[in-house]
Amino acid sequence: MIYLDYSATTPVSKEVLDSYIKVTKEYIGNPNSLHSLGEKSKELLDSATKQICELLDIKESELIYTSGSTESNNTAIIGYALKNQKKGKNIVVSKLEHPSIYGICDYLSTLGFTITYVNNTEDGVIDFDDLRSKIKKDTILACIVGVNSEMGIRQPLKTLRQIIKKENENTVLFSDLTQAIGKINVNLHDVDLASVSSHKIYGPKGIGLLYKSDKVNIEPLIKGGEGELRGGTPCLPLIVAFSKALRIAVTSVSKNESVVKLLNDKLRSIIAKYPEIKINRTTYSIPHILNISLMNIKPETFIHALEKRDIYVGSNTACSHGKTSKTVLAVYGDEKRASTTIRISLSHLTSFDDINKFLYSFDIVYNKLNELGAIHE
Amino acid sequence: MNKLIIIKYGELTTKKGNIKFFIKTLKKNIDNALESLNYRIEYDNGRMYIFAPDLELVEKRLNYIFGIHEIITGYEFGTIEFDTIKENLKSLVLDSKIESFKVVTKRSYKNYPFTSMEISSALGGVVLKNCPGSTVDVHNPKTTINIEIRSNKSYIYFESKKGLHGYPVGVAGKGLLMLSGGIDSPVAGYLSMKRGIRLEAVYFESPPHTSDQAKKKVESLARILSNYSGYIKLHIVHFTDIQEGILKNVPHEYLITIMRRMMYRISERIALKNNCKILINGESIGQVASQTLDSMNVINSVVNIPVIRPVACFDKLEIIDISKKIEAYETSILPYEDCCTIFVPDHPVINPKKDLCDEYENSWDWKTLVDNAVKTEQVIKITSKDNKFSSLL
Repeated sequence: MIYLDYSATTPVSKEVLDSYIKVTKEYIGNPNSLHSLGEKSKELLDSATKQICELLDIKESELIYTSGSTESNNTAIIGYALKNQKKGKNIVVSKLEHPSIYGICDYLSTLGFTITYVNNTEDGVIDFDDLRSKIKKDTILACIVGVNSEMGIRQPLKTLRQIIKKENENTVLFSDLTQAIGKINVNLHDVDLASVSSHKIYGPKGIGLLYKSDKVNIEPLIKGGEGELRGGTPCLPLIVAFSKALRIAVTSVSKNESVVKLLNDKLRSIIAKYPEIKINRTTYSIPHILNISLMNIKPETFIHALEKRDIYVGSNTACSHGKTSKTVLAVYGDEKRASTTIRISLSHLTSFDDINKFLYSFDIVYNKLNELGAIHE
Repeated sequence: MNKLIIIKYGELTTKKGNIKFFIKTLKKNIDNALESLNYRIEYDNGRMYIFAPDLELVEKRLNYIFGIHEIITGYEFGTIEFDTIKENLKSLVLDSKIESFKVVTKRSYKNYPFTSMEISSALGGVVLKNCPGSTVDVHNPKTTINIEIRSNKSYIYFESKKGLHGYPVGVAGKGLLMLSGGIDSPVAGYLSMKRGIRLEAVYFESPPHTSDQAKKKVESLARILSNYSGYIKLHIVHFTDIQEGILKNVPHEYLITIMRRMMYRISERIALKNNCKILINGESIGQVASQTLDSMNVINSVVNIPVIRPVACFDKLEIIDISKKIEAYETSILPYEDCCTIFVPDHPVINPKKDLCDEYENSWDWKTLVDNAVKTEQVIKITSKDNKFSSLL
């Protein structure tokens, strides 16, 4: 099997899974219980949390465990909007977000919030002037994804936050960092709210976190937590496994990035030779993602054809089910280009042999389908 | 050019006879703190130079090491040729915004053909020429540019950060800290480490009157202290029998006084057994009944070992400030009962009499119990690296 869809999800690494199993079996107490079993679990929970906070350089009061990025995104945006609606009801959003963000914005607009979309330059970076003009007095929140999930475009968050604060010091910056943490070095202090997910960094599914700066207040969406911002018994095995996965990912960012860059260079150099294929990449794309437009072939057909050869790549994002790529459209403004994308996403686990085998199959499948596609046109 | 961290020793350099031992101890402590990192240290009697790919992380860890006067991020050049030094400075300042500045030169290589003044003024010229808008201000400069010329290398650095000062932990020998779960004793421990004392700690537990959480809390406090020394040996003394004995045999206003005398006796025995030269505790004059001068006198009289009380003359708020600075405060205020907070009489005596104490103690056999407590003490080594869950995390 050749798996090239690491931006959709990653396999859990063995040492992380070992921790998960061990904690599930041996730490049965509820960390909130008073007895020694609870205490034992509480102690482990505290250590796991402390490790995450040290890795991300945040305070424990700034971390909220969630079920993953979608919940973090919901809690951040809806929670912040509800809590701060007296200050204003406008939210500024980039055109490069994960689909879940747009769903949340649609919901908020039914509650009377206005959503303003901010443009990006042809490099995919937020247009500073446009951002400046769209931050108004009643703008309470700006949502700008740290690394875009389709083309891997990385935003200069620190600069964007400075621009935002200069226009309106009360506007808070939320950034979905799902595709950023563990892949590139990120400073959480560049934003006010951020989402992080475990299953994108070789951790288990069903756990993630929301970073919430102490200066920012939100309304909890899951009530009943007695002052906590999310009710519910902490899921200790998931949290411990997440903490371990994060440690491994964060401490090997540079090493892994250089491996992935070589793989990406190799892939691109070959795919660039196909005259009709467009490579959707700007200077701000991280090397973990290679997005291409097949132009004459439906991505769905192509993905299934590769699958028959035991090769797995993604459509634009796993969560948009192969619809038109909003990102590619926002960057290139080309409908056809945006509706025929596939996303090849890489990992340090990918070998050059994998890439060679992939390119071999790619060539066969592409030539066959491209011919049919051309006839069909 | 190498980017590096330069460490200035400060007070160490005044200790002429022992300087080699002091610096070696400092180096050992730094090695211990940087364990697991990729780094290289060079040192002489004046400075230590640390080269590492991740200087930020190195600096973070150095913030916990006593005996460091200043931590400086600077640049090392393998030349002392004057024109090259000028070129090097030019390349460092070229892109930076410098407003008012002064150049301070240090020449430990005294045969260098230019004086410090001459070097400063020539290099000041380089900055003025290459940084438009820069002006010289020798009194209140916004930037101080430091140049050091040694026998075959030169250094340029801009700003320095203060280190923790004090002496390297270990140079003064060992002391035994009476560590309760409160605010004062961890601060007392921190302050004594600052003077180069390596700590061992003793904690008295009275299960089931005191809980496991209280013990865990003390372990956490010891771990916080161990950040400054790499590790701490924690002695845990089973105190239940003695405490219950006191409760049965001693008038209630003397409970605390006698209890403290027992703790002192046990601590002295543990200290001597473990080569600790002194006892250290968090007593602060007048804070509670057992900490009046009369109480201290009567309690202290049962031991011969010196007892130091680093926070004796500090106000509570001053102690809290330090507690917060060393990040012990949040742990210290966790609400678990310890030996000193259970069985507190309504009116503890504030001017206890030594004769009365002796009389109350003579009425029952506490000696066997003390022997037993010393014999059954448990020892755990607490390290700054929380190893307990390392396989899981």
